[in-house]
Amino acid sequence: MTGNRQDVRQLAQIQRWLQTVITHPDGVEAGMASDAARSEIDISADRVEEVIDRSKRRTSVERLEIYANAYYARLLECLRDEYPALLHAAGDEVFDGLAFGYLQAYPSQSYTLGELSRRFAQYLEETRPTDEDEADAGAGPSWPEFLIDLVRLERCYSDVFDGPGAERMSLLDAAALKDLSPEAWMQARLVTVPCLRRLPLRFPVHEYATAVREKTDPDLPEPTPTWLAVSRINYVVRRWTLSPVQFELLAALIEGQSVGAAIERAAILAVESGESVEGLAASLRDWFAEWSSAGFFQAIELPGSREGESSIK
Amino acid sequence: MIPARLGHPNLGLGLGLRTVHYQHILDHNPSVDWFEVISENYIDSGGRPRYVLEQVAERYPIVMHGVSLSIGSTDPVNFEYLNKLRDLARLTKALWVSDHVCWTGVAGRNTHDLLPIPYTEQALAHVIDRIRVVQDVLERPLVLENPSTYVTFADSTMPEAEFLTRMTEATGCGLLLDVNNVYVSCFNHDQDPFEFLRAIPHERVVQFHLAGHTNCVTHLIDTHDGRVVNPVWDLYRLAHQLTGGVSTLLEWDARIPPFPVVHAEVLKARNYMVSELSGFAADAASTASDAQSAAESEVFEELAEEPGIPQPATYATAEFE
Repeated sequence: MTGNRQDVRQLAQIQRWLQTVITHPDGVEAGMASDAARSEIDISADRVEEVIDRSKRRTSVERLEIYANAYYARLLECLRDEYPALLHAAGDEVFDGLAFGYLQAYPSQSYTLGELSRRFAQYLEETRPTDEDEADAGAGPSWPEFLIDLVRLERCYSDVFDGPGAERMSLLDAAALKDLSPEAWMQARLVTVPCLRRLPLRFPVHEYATAVREKTDPDLPEPTPTWLAVSRINYVVRRWTLSPVQFELLAALIEGQSVGAAIERAAILAVESGESVEGLAASLRDWFAEWSSAGFFQAIELPGSREGESSIK
Repeated sequence: MIPARLGHPNLGLGLGLRTVHYQHILDHNPSVDWFEVISENYIDSGGRPRYVLEQVAERYPIVMHGVSLSIGSTDPVNFEYLNKLRDLARLTKALWVSDHVCWTGVAGRNTHDLLPIPYTEQALAHVIDRIRVVQDVLERPLVLENPSTYVTFADSTMPEAEFLTRMTEATGCGLLLDVNNVYVSCFNHDQDPFEFLRAIPHERVVQFHLAGHTNCVTHLIDTHDGRVVNPVWDLYRLAHQLTGGVSTLLEWDARIPPFPVVHAEVLKARNYMVSELSGFAADAASTASDAQSAAESEVFEELAEEPGIPQPATYATAEFE
């Protein structure tokens, strides 16, 4: 301890310098040489003992490297834990490259590691190779899109797993709907549980992720438009594969549209897709029954009621 | 006059609550004295982690231990975070709330590391001010832990023990004495860990931490990935004598073995509470622990082939079907 400096460094200066040095992607010495670090403490690696003491066994730079190595190692490990399917698909080297880039572009700003990967998919979209870069340009969904879909799925699983759920709610009893008039039913609004998500994908990455979880070595799937509902039952995340029309209907319900408006949206899509409206109408009862038994709905709000009023459980 | 241990009871021998042990604890109700939980894994949880915590809190005393308070940071205090800590402490009836004497980031960033503070008058005044703010929000005295550190600052003007002493005197906060951290930091800084233990305010120690670390020859890393080594048990014996014994908790956060193994490790602490014994019994206990130490030392002192990641690493992964 020297403690005799005439120009006492401010605590904030030291902290900004240390953070810059230990988080620099090219290491401690590059960090010390960076403009950001030198604007706080203008010191080169050969004089860093004026800031950081050396020990008997390690130089000041070597001691700083413990923090620098730990910074990326810790956060990469968290991302590997959260994205096992992406890690399996990409392999260690590619995964670490993507994660390393992400951590530089979007360093954590939250007290919780649960938010660390919030913008991982966005980062991959922003940095994905352009079509011109790809040999198979114009050939449909590509390898980057497969990886991005995996990130979106695994992030969705994390959100559903630890977000608000319906375990302590009484859910909608479908039997209570039987006395509703057709008019009331069409104007009613189904309140979905807070853990229900809809997830459109370009690849069936849910099957791939499940296979990785089961420790098989799945083949990379062919691109296939995929529509998922993801929710949680008894604290375990579950997913359902939907048709495009089912997905449209459920999306409208999640957005808070009335049953009638949601069916109309689904019918438009059915017609555009060459499906029959009669077929849709015949399927609706089964779909609502299936989704009710899957716990998608907490309540139904009847026409003219305000939130929390005249709802049926 | 602030009572010893802030008036908190000696809870006995506890364990850190970890996700891999959830089902074992719920199914078997093991005879652990108490659990410590990582606050950040629960304050926002609406899922299974929070559900399990509520179950555990109904059966065991709970203490909350955080890693993101960043009491030494020059960034503004995060009141949203503090309010969530307070709310979770109420919900779980946490006996106390602890974190570390460190900072985790500045300029809006969180490195998720426990970064060291220069032990200066300026830093001390800053930390004291922040502790007072935090204690006002939490409506209780804070308990702060000495972290494992890997650098010291040329600007420091006082030893860590003096910093901790003056910090507790000025704020009324308690100390969480991590015995393994004392050993790790003193090794890394060429200091005497026994001297460190004698220099801290013993009556302010509310809790002990024990953990394993990784020996990288030139330095030690606080990895929480193995058993407690014999020199740390020796320090624990002295800490127990100096404080009269306080709540003791084992942390095991990487390469976590089955619950009974972790539980058995913390129960070894009984062998080092010699101050509670006398005469022949104390000698017998000491001999037993020495023999145990000798038998296990070759295992414990293996050098690391790959350096581990310093704590904390606290992410809870999703379960799905």
